[in-house]
Amino acid sequence: MLLKRLGINETFAALALVFLAVFPMFASEFRVELMGKFIVFILFAFSLNLIWGYTGLLSLGHAVFFGLGGYVLALSYSLQDGVPSFMARFNIEEIPLLMRPLLSTPLALLLGLLIPALLAGLIGYFVFKSRVSGVYFSIITLALAKLFEMLIVNMQAYTGGFNGLMGLPRFPVGGEPMDLVPYYYLVLAVTAAAFLFTRWLTHSHFGKVIKSIREDESRIRFLSYNPANYKIFVFAVSGLLAGLAGMLYVPMNGFISPQDSGIAMSTSLVIWLAIGGRGTLMGPIVGVLIVNWLSNLLSEQYPTLWQLILGGVMVLIVLYLPGGIYGAVESWWKDRGLRKKYAAKEDQEGEAVLYKESEVL
Amino acid sequence: MGIMQQVADGISVAGILVIIALGLGITFGVMKIINMAHGELIMIGAYVTYLVCTEGKMPFVLGMIVSFLVTALVGLLLERFVLRRLYGRPLETLLATFGISLFLQQLIRMLFGPDGKSVVSPFQGVLMIGEVAAPYFRLFIVAIAIVMVLTTAYVMHKTKFGIQLRSVSQNRDMCECLGINTSKVDAYTFGFGAGLAGLAGSILAPIKSVSPTMGLDYLIDSFMVVVLGGVGSLMGTLFGSAAMGESNQLLTTFMGETGAKIVVFLLIILVIRFKPEGLFRMERR
Repeated sequence: MLLKRLGINETFAALALVFLAVFPMFASEFRVELMGKFIVFILFAFSLNLIWGYTGLLSLGHAVFFGLGGYVLALSYSLQDGVPSFMARFNIEEIPLLMRPLLSTPLALLLGLLIPALLAGLIGYFVFKSRVSGVYFSIITLALAKLFEMLIVNMQAYTGGFNGLMGLPRFPVGGEPMDLVPYYYLVLAVTAAAFLFTRWLTHSHFGKVIKSIREDESRIRFLSYNPANYKIFVFAVSGLLAGLAGMLYVPMNGFISPQDSGIAMSTSLVIWLAIGGRGTLMGPIVGVLIVNWLSNLLSEQYPTLWQLILGGVMVLIVLYLPGGIYGAVESWWKDRGLRKKYAAKEDQEGEAVLYKESEVL
Repeated sequence: MGIMQQVADGISVAGILVIIALGLGITFGVMKIINMAHGELIMIGAYVTYLVCTEGKMPFVLGMIVSFLVTALVGLLLERFVLRRLYGRPLETLLATFGISLFLQQLIRMLFGPDGKSVVSPFQGVLMIGEVAAPYFRLFIVAIAIVMVLTTAYVMHKTKFGIQLRSVSQNRDMCECLGINTSKVDAYTFGFGAGLAGLAGSILAPIKSVSPTMGLDYLIDSFMVVVLGGVGSLMGTLFGSAAMGESNQLLTTFMGETGAKIVVFLLIILVIRFKPEGLFRMERR
């Protein structure tokens, strides 16, 4: 009943929201922190879903934007009490000029969104404007991830190097860091807002255009749209969302390291979304929760086997379940609606058919 | 170090790039298959060489041959069971081969452990040409690179298989009408490309650490070379390697390894923007 009135996406979203909202009331602090991280990952997966799921361009280095957002906020925290120890070790006596703006927290929050968006937009401009195939985009973003990780490790004096930045507090509100549970709800609220944003964007005219770019780019060009501009914009928005996820991740996790912003993280993200279902609204949620839950369950006992399974599952998903888990559920539901409609048509005649049809649709 | 030494080192880096990019130049350039597991095929070649030469104490040449055969077989299996179902769907191919690369990486890690293995170089000693030092193994790499390019060019242009391969890549339907077994050609082409990757791994084993994660750098580098040189041309791959090898080596002296990598990356983005067909693309027809 609920399923029919609300539609499948909305029902599942509501269920997921209720589940995540009551979770802290029953779980231990450790579990709440873990689930908080998963919610951040869901937001992160939303960002990749925009560019990969809906526009059909696979970014293999999305963690770069995540890491940029995270590092901006982490640096801003570290700079609050003067020159941090990891800089002092390299005889840096005052805060570098370029990092001065990070002293102001609101400005840091803004930069954490703008810098990833700007970088994404720039890369998008160079790659999409020349109409090369999506493969180039994937390779360039992969190289970017590798490079960014190297850069962070290398610029140890400014980024803390291989070990990353540690001991970061939650958002300070009125001088005191936030408690875990309120912060958990803040993250949940932001992620829910991002869900609504994705839903609104993909149902709008703009969303139809980007989906048609995914299906057939030359056709949309004949209709006098410029796909390059749409792609650049979507990638920039996607970078912004990833930066937002990175900024929410830092206070939840307590530290950020180069591994969070390089190949490893980007790869995990692609796996979550591929398994959950790219190009669907609920796919990111399903993928992140299932894969991470299983990973926590299995990776302690069988760490190597788990990685092997993930790789194998990826191949199987591509071959047999291209829409991912949720994509399969969704298309089953849609087919079911149609099957009912035709069954009704065969069974009854006249007004009854119309009545049934309107109920189903 | 003198500038001549840097140029000489650059040539040997270019030789390495030619060797690793050649297989990709065939699978990506000619067949348009995006093989994210290319780096892992190189890694498998390196491990096979480790097994044959370090564990089995056989001569290096045997390691090279066995590597070629084993990775060609792996390539044939991949083509038969995965890639064949995905022709014409580049994004799906990319994702599937990405999964394969994770799988192979982990498989090797389970079999051999995460630590690096080493293979003893078959050539010791250094040749001095004036001020420039050229280790014999580096000379061997450059020589092998040249031989590999010539052999590939011969196979592609002079043999029946090569002519079929090129015609299938140009007009598949017409080839089928003319009685060419295109799926067989596809399989052998991919196997050949994979075998070249394995050979690359074998040659690199003595100078690089053989580890489960070694493939990623090679994957990125070889794609860069192919993009830089122009997709689908053998000469492009050759010139792309030379350009990238030299610029990487020369820039490293001025700004360190990371700086050089960043500049080369920016350069390639510029090439994609303003010359998407590659720097050295020969005019066709």
